[in-house]
Amino acid sequence: MSVTPELFIQTRQLCKQVALPGNTLNILTDINLTINRGDSVAIVGASGSGKSTLLGLLAGLDVPSSGEVVLAGQRIDTLNDDARAELRAQHVGFVFQSFLLLPALSALENVTLPAELAGQRDATARGKQLLELVGLSERMHFFPAQLSGGEQQRVAIARAFITQPAILFADEPSANLDSATGRRVEDLLFELNRSQGTTLVLVTHNPQLAARCQRQFLMDAGRLTEALPMAEGRSHVG
Amino acid sequence: MWAKVAWRLFWRELKNGELWVIAFALMLAVLTVVSLSGITDSVRSALMQRSSNFTAADKVLRSSSPFQPEILQQAEQLGLQTAQQIQFNTMLFAGDNMQLVNVKAVSSQYPLRGELLLDTAAGQNSIVAPGSVYLEARLAQILAVRVGDLLDVGAAKLKVGGIILEEPDAPLNLFGGQPRVMMHLSDVAATEVIQPGSRISYRYLFAGSEVKLKQLETDIKPLLNANDRWQQLDRQSAVGSALDRAERFLLLAGLLGIVLAAAAAAVAANRYSQRHQMAVAVIKALGVTAPLARKIYFSHLALVTGFASLCGLLLGLLANFAVQGILGQWIEGYQAVFSSKSAWLGISTALICSLLFSLRPVWRLTAVPAIEVLRQQNGDSRIDYWQLLSGSVAVLALMWLFSGDIWLSGMLFLACAGFGLCLLGFAAVLVRVAKPMAAGQSSALKLALANLRRRLWQNSFQLMTFSLALFLTLVLYFLRAELLEQWKQQVPENAPNQFLVNMTATEKDQIAQQLQQAGLATGTFYPMISGRVLAVNGEMLQEPEQDDGAASRSNQASKQQSSEQSAAQQSTAEPASGRQGFGRELNLSWLSELPANNQITAGQWFDGPAQVSVEQQQAERLQLKLGDKLTFAIGGQQFDATVSSFRKVDWNSLQPNFFMLLSPDLMEHFPATYLTAFYLPETQQSVLTALLKQFPTVSVISVAVILQQVTSIIDQVSLALTLILILVFAAAVLVLVAQVQATVEQREQELAILRTLGARGRFLRQAVLYEFAALGLLAGVFATILAEVLLAIVQMRMFQLPFNLHQSLWGLGPVTGVVLLTVLGALLLRGILQPTPASLIRRALHN
Ligand SMILES: Nc1ncnc2c1ncn2[C@@H]1O[C@H](COP(=O)(O)OP(=O)(O)OP(=O)(O)O)[C@@H](O)[C@H]1O
Ligand SMILES: [Mg+2]
Repeated sequence: MSVTPELFIQTRQLCKQVALPGNTLNILTDINLTINRGDSVAIVGASGSGKSTLLGLLAGLDVPSSGEVVLAGQRIDTLNDDARAELRAQHVGFVFQSFLLLPALSALENVTLPAELAGQRDATARGKQLLELVGLSERMHFFPAQLSGGEQQRVAIARAFITQPAILFADEPSANLDSATGRRVEDLLFELNRSQGTTLVLVTHNPQLAARCQRQFLMDAGRLTEALPMAEGRSHVG
Repeated sequence: MWAKVAWRLFWRELKNGELWVIAFALMLAVLTVVSLSGITDSVRSALMQRSSNFTAADKVLRSSSPFQPEILQQAEQLGLQTAQQIQFNTMLFAGDNMQLVNVKAVSSQYPLRGELLLDTAAGQNSIVAPGSVYLEARLAQILAVRVGDLLDVGAAKLKVGGIILEEPDAPLNLFGGQPRVMMHLSDVAATEVIQPGSRISYRYLFAGSEVKLKQLETDIKPLLNANDRWQQLDRQSAVGSALDRAERFLLLAGLLGIVLAAAAAAVAANRYSQRHQMAVAVIKALGVTAPLARKIYFSHLALVTGFASLCGLLLGLLANFAVQGILGQWIEGYQAVFSSKSAWLGISTALICSLLFSLRPVWRLTAVPAIEVLRQQNGDSRIDYWQLLSGSVAVLALMWLFSGDIWLSGMLFLACAGFGLCLLGFAAVLVRVAKPMAAGQSSALKLALANLRRRLWQNSFQLMTFSLALFLTLVLYFLRAELLEQWKQQVPENAPNQFLVNMTATEKDQIAQQLQQAGLATGTFYPMISGRVLAVNGEMLQEPEQDDGAASRSNQASKQQSSEQSAAQQSTAEPASGRQGFGRELNLSWLSELPANNQITAGQWFDGPAQVSVEQQQAERLQLKLGDKLTFAIGGQQFDATVSSFRKVDWNSLQPNFFMLLSPDLMEHFPATYLTAFYLPETQQSVLTALLKQFPTVSVISVAVILQQVTSIIDQVSLALTLILILVFAAAVLVLVAQVQATVEQREQELAILRTLGARGRFLRQAVLYEFAALGLLAGVFATILAEVLLAIVQMRMFQLPFNLHQSLWGLGPVTGVVLLTVLGALLLRGILQPTPASLIRRALHN
């Protein structure tokens, strides 16, 4: 598959099935999707429609049952777990619905963790910078249990950006937060997306959040369609 | 780079207390193994060393044939110390006075252990000089000689060199042995006592390390004659058997402690792995490969194992040091023994524990896929059968390693497993039954029971571990109490510490009166007379072929075994086949009442004239049946007696005991001497001195020192028992803590949900505490039942103690269960029971 650098994520005929006792469940069917570098993309859809599953496949957390996934110029559906992990370490950042900070580490340590694991030198300095950027320089040495939900999510965002990933995946980043806090967290995401040129793929239930993205996809029972912005009138993607 | 992250994570986990339960459990297992094996080793060696003092050597070889230079050469080549001794009976003449005496001729190296103290013209020393004889004090009195006088010993004329004050291997001639004379080995030839056919006992004394002594034993085997015997420590003696039981108890306790600690380690490792699944998924999502994750978490495991084993080892060694210190105070010249064995056992324990209990959970942990970050659920809590298997193998391996006894380990393991399964079944049934019971209860109770039911399997498993932990602690608690009680009975406070022997009937009454005046209580005055058993049912008994010294001593010792000392001198050999006589005179007594520490095992106590009651073991030896006719000879007179009963005698009791008790009618007309025992407080020594001055022919045998030592051994052993009980209890509590903690997260979430649904805090607290109380009650009851069963088995089989129902157990067991679990539950869950709903909800959501 030839890949242009602009095409940062691409999938072809992507399917995901799980075997249940008795029958197989098709979670995702025939997903064809292209995301360019620097895009911000929202995936919306009903609960249980397969959004998180797709995110997992795009990020190389899981492998598809069939079909291809290209991430940062590499086919990842054929890579093994460890190779995908290394790819994630290089290119990918995450923000999760339930933050998923390591409770044993302080805010700063949580932020610097990916950089340190990747062997980067100036992790601490940049960690402090990022925490300042998300407005938590006062809470650097707090532990997750001592932080509010919004603060935790901001730490998580700082953690996601420390390796300067080319692409950031966010699974319902503001779902666990009240709307004001959620909005602040979203602002941060977009800000960093713009300033660092990061590709942003986020899953959300929130139409307002989706509307802030350049492109919106709708997941419905495992099938993906791009919602067309009125002005441009582009056709279906999937 | 990973190392830095791993180290930081480790340090933080340690700070957060995440790793402590694992570390504590491992440490406890190591500590138990190290301290127990160390303590038993050193107590055993202390006993050996102490008994060495009583035999004046570490090992004694007895022979009826003259010394073989080869044996001594072999010993010296091995680097062992040697000494020689010859014992024989002979007449001693001092002018017109004469006396049959027991002579002990020793080489210059004597004694190798213990202390000899002689009162000579040159002051007190321990030199047996050639050309001199040394006499027991009463002998000097009988012969009316002083230091410097000349005596005839056989053909030799020897000078009285001094009085024997202390003799390490003095015979315990409690009941009329010949007075002791000591001389140098080099003078024996001149006495011309040694003639073909004369009864001489030759003794080789050896001292040195245990290994070399063992080596010697195998080396010289081909040189030994049929009648040569190694003298051994007798386990039947008071202290020997006390220690034997203590050792078994310690072994058992250690095994159970290890099982508990191991269980705690396993539970804690599982919980750790479950709690960290999300963290592993997160770091994997952040780009950590599986090998790297493994490196991080296995390094944690290695650090915990290393740290815990080190602490366990150090603490264990410290405990050993302490015990050695105590032993040093109690045995003069005690040489501390530190074998590396206990350290190795400890390290192996740690390795087995961490490999077989923790490796698997940590492996599973690092195998958690990154995709878990997108699944909003707690990690799976299924039972891992591999871990169950590897854990079982580990427990068995540990038990085997520690006890060196595959059979005992296997049985105990199967018993525990069986109990576990029973409990699991019971628990499952009970938890099912709890639902209908809950109907109509107060709502907090109802919720508690509903909760119990909901976590059916988890709770059954918990209940099983709770019950096992309680059960093991209860068993040990009661066994320990039982042992201490037994020992107390054996050596009661104010146990008789002085024996008076050789009293005539008139002296007896005067002495009884004087003692009474001095406020001293005397026990029974046993009439005693020497006699022989000639025949059984008219068939003459054969005389055993044995060297005289050993024979009389050995029989004397086992017959009237009243102290450790006699036990130490008892030969291992018993003459074999045929109906052989005793080869010497026995001390016979007659009593109308059965002594308190005797028990009839067959037949009836005297119900007619001319009857005899025989001690059980001797009856076996003589192949006697009830109704057999024994022919006795006292002086020149013979008479018959019918065997009317067999008796079991408690040789452990420090009381006079007799092989043969005759019905009073048989012996009334024989001239007997009397024997009694009484307790003499330290402060009243003068009473005894006065008494002896007044009645010079009466002998006193003091067992005060021996008694003191017995008591102090028992004290030390009791202390060790208490220590081990504490260790085991700690292990049990640790299991409970690990178990309760394992459910904290789940409870947290449930509580949060219930609270958001509007349940009041007080109500929830009550429900949780009821739940724990109910669990505790169930566990307590199960534990009590099982403990009673096991106690019965162990008591009867392992310790040969009589069975009795433990009434207090039935109260203690359930109450301990309820209190312990409720308190632990309240303590461990106080964090989630107290806070405001908001913080609770936040915490629940963040999990
Ligand atoms: N490993 C699996 N085994 C079985 N079913 C699965 C598995 N993974 C996902 N599913 C199912 O696939 C469907 C899609 O799940 P997914 O988590 O992708 O939904 P979602 O769109 O993210 O929903 P939500 O908005 O509630 O997060 C669900 O019905 C889920 O139960
Ligand atoms: Mg989802």
